[in-house]
Amino acid sequence: MVDAANTVTPDRQRVELAALSAPAVLFTLAMIAFPLAYTVWLGFHAFSSTGRQSFTGLGNYSKLIADTEFWHGLWVTLALYLLSLVLQLVLGIWLAMLLFNAKRLPGIVRSLFISPFMMPPVVAGLMWLVILDPSLGAANYILQAAGLPPSDWLASPIWVIPTIALIDTWQWAPYVALIVLGGLQSLPASVYEAAQIDGASAFTTFRRITLPLLLPTIVTAVILRSVDLLRFFDIIYITTQGGPGNASNTLNIYGFRVGFEFFNIGYASALMLTLTVIVFGVVLAFNRLRGAVAW
Amino acid sequence: MDHTPLSESWIKRFNVVQLVLAGILIMSPTAWMVLSSFKPSFEVTAYPPTLILSPTVENYSQLMKMTPFFSYAINSMIVTLGSAGLGLLFGIPAAFAVSWTRISWPAVLTLAARMAPGTLFLLPWYVMFREVGMIGSYTALVLSHAVITLPIVIWVLLPSFDNIPRSIFEAAQVDGCSITRILWKIAMPLVGSGIAVAAILSFVFSWNYFLFALVLSNGDSKTLIAAAFNFVGEGSTQWGALMAAATLIALPPLMLAAIVQRWLVSGLTLGAVKG
Repeated sequence: MVDAANTVTPDRQRVELAALSAPAVLFTLAMIAFPLAYTVWLGFHAFSSTGRQSFTGLGNYSKLIADTEFWHGLWVTLALYLLSLVLQLVLGIWLAMLLFNAKRLPGIVRSLFISPFMMPPVVAGLMWLVILDPSLGAANYILQAAGLPPSDWLASPIWVIPTIALIDTWQWAPYVALIVLGGLQSLPASVYEAAQIDGASAFTTFRRITLPLLLPTIVTAVILRSVDLLRFFDIIYITTQGGPGNASNTLNIYGFRVGFEFFNIGYASALMLTLTVIVFGVVLAFNRLRGAVAW
Repeated sequence: MDHTPLSESWIKRFNVVQLVLAGILIMSPTAWMVLSSFKPSFEVTAYPPTLILSPTVENYSQLMKMTPFFSYAINSMIVTLGSAGLGLLFGIPAAFAVSWTRISWPAVLTLAARMAPGTLFLLPWYVMFREVGMIGSYTALVLSHAVITLPIVIWVLLPSFDNIPRSIFEAAQVDGCSITRILWKIAMPLVGSGIAVAAILSFVFSWNYFLFALVLSNGDSKTLIAAAFNFVGEGSTQWGALMAAATLIALPPLMLAAIVQRWLVSGLTLGAVKG
């Protein structure tokens, strides 16, 4: 590529290219890598109420293993993660198929269908807080009009996790749909024609052809949603702040409260590092899976 | 057996029914929010809930009276535009260099911010910014939000730069153009729409971001999103004003989303899916 006619030497080029990416790299190191190292350091320290710090070694981590609130938080995190993920995948794929088949839908309507996830999650939380109000909300009115018993929704320790999963699904199933729609549009039309000639029904075509071919796209959607769901924060903090009691106290909410409400920075660092390891572990596992299902 | 024209038209009808159902499920909560914001106060909390009878803007005027909504909006604008600008300033040359060299680690490095929980960075930032007295400053907020915008800019622009034929750059090099000059004079004009999408997505996600401002802002620098959290406590009995605030806060990102909806797939999956 770079031939002798060039007046610019390769060395000079290399320096120039490095200089172009230097601001982004230095910024990321300063804002992420260095603070991350600092968090690791903080995780080995205990902080007294007056802000004095002392080295505790693995003290925060042995505290974590003995902390029932940590294990409860892990359970809440995983329950919310799996429930939301399944709901969002099923409804997202359903919505993608609908939009894929509705080719004449005007662009503006299409963008309304996928609009929820562009809304601030905080706004989504506020909105649903009003709709799901146990005594005056529209949701209970609809339930009762249909002859069903009303629910306490976010105020119920039993229903709070499914309810939060429902709110997040309302917001992010359209995002899954958008990704799957991209995958659908890139599938070769020839496979459908072959299936049609063979007389396959719509359901068989979906199950035997579309779904397997879509698998890499679906795994991508799973990875992107996993990253967000495992560190779920905004909607919970705006609606329940981990309550009622500690029923929706995910690890991220718990770590935040330990750090910024009880100002136990050292223990909060240990909690957040543990959560980060979990997130990266899940992402790496699914990334492997994506390699296995690629075609 | 189910391939007669009759059953096919039924399948089509069934699709339309499902589409309408999905549309109602997706749009009615937002519609309810907007509707509630225009209801007179006695009707917002009426039970059974009513559809609108006499629309009013009293909730909006009350919101402006109750809270410094306008100055929160200015704060949000400063933080959002500042962080989107910083993301573009650092991200455009980095994306170009990654696309040129095919050395991808700088781009992957910025993705770390997309993966780790925000609280992980927030703990050390809080300690560090407090140390230098920058809690509540616009600088701290802009810097923290640029962590969100930078990977968006880089990963939206990477495919755009990749799509430019290499021969264009080589011809310019033969003429003695430096790489920086090629980026400025040739590549950037060619990826103009990509830069626009990157800017808009950066704006939306920076505007929407809650966690950093929750801790790093103070009364004077609070963004709209962080302020909205306080509205819940204050406005628990004032649903109308609460919904007016929610509607106004959601308006800018929703309007921008409508503009870029065609490019959303590649932009939002950070290169994982080619839309």
